[in-house]
Amino acid sequence: MLSDMERDDLVVDPAAAAAQLKTLQDGRAALADRAMQPWWYDALLGLLMFELIASYSVHEQWVSIAALLVFFAGNFGLMAAYKRLTGFWVNGHRPGRTQRAMRVWMVGAVVVLALAGGAEFGLGWRGAMVVAGVVLGVAVALISRWWSRIYIAELRDQA
Amino acid sequence: MIAAVEPRFDAVVHAPPRLQVCGLLAAVDSMDFAAVRDAVGVSDSVLSKHVKQLEEAGYVAVRKATIASRQRTSLALTKAGRQAFSAHVAELRRITGG
Repeated sequence: MLSDMERDDLVVDPAAAAAQLKTLQDGRAALADRAMQPWWYDALLGLLMFELIASYSVHEQWVSIAALLVFFAGNFGLMAAYKRLTGFWVNGHRPGRTQRAMRVWMVGAVVVLALAGGAEFGLGWRGAMVVAGVVLGVAVALISRWWSRIYIAELRDQA
Repeated sequence: MIAAVEPRFDAVVHAPPRLQVCGLLAAVDSMDFAAVRDAVGVSDSVLSKHVKQLEEAGYVAVRKATIASRQRTSLALTKAGRQAFSAHVAELRRITGG
């Protein structure tokens, strides 16, 4: 598998190892430079979240199903756009410091949905899910931005 | 992302272009072949050769997809690839005393 030249090159002295680590650092720094998504990515993500959650206030199953389809199609489009812009994709649930942002999102979403769902469907407060949609739409846009900042900082710290 | 792992020299990962490829892929889920090529600064054929070696070692998964009638190739580190890369980086840090 390895060429003779590569076999001769397998002895690593501290200077060579340091040079290789520096190369890795430079690569990660270059990734960090282009990892931040444009503002419209987060705005669209927030809108998609809003339309999905708010659709439950209509109390029509077909509306919610249509909203879910739009949500998935929109997210697929955003993912394709990000890949096209950066050349790579990173899973939001990746291990590392970004899990802090995911935990905040998960806990916040569960709390808001439980409260709004209870108000809309338990107490009959029509429109509660619209309010939840606004809250979660804004939250996902901000947390998405925060997630990216943590990711970029992590890349630079490893760099 | 690079957790404390047992330092282990890996001859497949060691070659500079392959180390760079692994370093990029370790930070992402998947990366376009063209983006890796541009970042590493090698030609298509050179990158293909190194990717093939990583693929044969079970370190990199190559995925081809046709999008808008254009074929796009993306690369991703496998679990074994991530472990080998992390162990190799730990070994480099051990050598440098870092």
